[in-house]
Amino acid sequence: MTMSFSAPLVKIQSLHKSYGPHIQVLKGLDVEMKPGERVVVIGPSGGGKSTLLRVMMGLEKIDSGSISFGGKPYIFSEGADRKTVIDTEVRRSIGMVFQHYTLFPHLSVIQNLILAPCKVRGENKASATKRAQALLERFGLGAKASAYPAQLSGGQKQRVAIARALMLDPKLMLFDEVTSALDPELVAEVEQVILQLAGQDMPMMIVTHDMWFAKNIASRVIFCAGGVVVEDGPPEQVLGSPKEERTREFIDRVFHIRH
Amino acid sequence: MTLDFSIVLRFQEALALGLWMTIKLTLICVVLGCSLGFSIGLARTSRSALLRAASSIYVEFFRGTPVLVQLFWIFFCLPLILGVELSNLTSGVIALTLYMGAISSETFRASLKSIGPEQLDACVALDLPRRVQVTSVILPQAVLRAVPTLLSNCVSLFKESALVSAVGMADLMFVGQNISNNTARPVEVLTVVALIYFVIAFPLTRAVTLVERRVLAKLAI
Repeated sequence: MTMSFSAPLVKIQSLHKSYGPHIQVLKGLDVEMKPGERVVVIGPSGGGKSTLLRVMMGLEKIDSGSISFGGKPYIFSEGADRKTVIDTEVRRSIGMVFQHYTLFPHLSVIQNLILAPCKVRGENKASATKRAQALLERFGLGAKASAYPAQLSGGQKQRVAIARALMLDPKLMLFDEVTSALDPELVAEVEQVILQLAGQDMPMMIVTHDMWFAKNIASRVIFCAGGVVVEDGPPEQVLGSPKEERTREFIDRVFHIRH
Repeated sequence: MTLDFSIVLRFQEALALGLWMTIKLTLICVVLGCSLGFSIGLARTSRSALLRAASSIYVEFFRGTPVLVQLFWIFFCLPLILGVELSNLTSGVIALTLYMGAISSETFRASLKSIGPEQLDACVALDLPRRVQVTSVILPQAVLRAVPTLLSNCVSLFKESALVSAVGMADLMFVGQNISNNTARPVEVLTVVALIYFVIAFPLTRAVTLVERRVLAKLAI
């Protein structure tokens, strides 16, 4: 299938997801994302932001709905028992970075980076190592190749985690609150790396509580609450002068304008 | 009462043979018991309810009964039930392997459990197939985390192995007891036997602390 310029890169249609019979997290969520877009998802805790990203990565089962990537549905529910189907071939194009780094603690930095390319893609060790070293240099971690995760700061760990995801040449990156666990003085170095990726037109979807970062990186902002998209528009609108009352309340609260 | 430790020297060959039996028995049972323990540890976290039930009955039974009773049962009851003669060494190996399997399975189970679900999230996000998840991510971490406790398990086994003397296996304890009876010099002989056990067990105990500090602190796991 060929993709015309305006065709959506990601299309999420009436996504429903619940944990058990009583907790509905996503209640019919629709999102479209065009190629080259950088979508920042904001919203109150429990509003379904992280769940959305986890579902897109295929880490959670869904109740109903579908997600397409590049025009191809890769996550949907099927049959009478609504089994979640995940097309792993398509999912391969998506990379994800988590709040808690999730580096493999028993492997050195370079081993963390080359594990997937060597074991999954069949790349030879020398070429993977060369690519990994280049990525580390680019992220200011050239000297840390043989260090273990426990010997790194939170900011360094998160940069390694981003590099590790990039080793698989993703066509879309998902960032799930990647700076939330960091000490304040380490946030900038991680955001800098993500901005660097944005400069190379990497499509990305970012869940963050950092409104400064959201404003700087987003080409579009989605306000998600109660399991649905409440407002969706350019950052100036959603963060600056939101149209929806619920968005306005949230924005005011996080910017401490009114009490 | 006068003590004459030189008397022990006359029996150094017999003591060496006994020590060799103790070490041989311990090493065989460490290898077999750890393998059994790892399988049982996996079985206890298995999806199959039958496997989980069977493995926990085994573990709880062997942790809940005295090793001496287990030994006697395997030496005297198992041959009657199976209808075959078992050599002393075979019976000793079976008994201590089952004991080691039970205690090390708990060690492995704890180490498997301590690997957080977020490690599996990372595996999925990196598109690692199940086989690679197990061999490259879960297994090495589980084994590394288990090492200090496993070493303690091994030291326990080495000491507990003295119980086989009660069923007539010629280990260090058995030889020592015989010499002490025949020479009527229990203080000298049994003190030396205790020292031999200590000289081997103590460095191993210290090694546990060392491994914990050096290796695991570096990995922070």
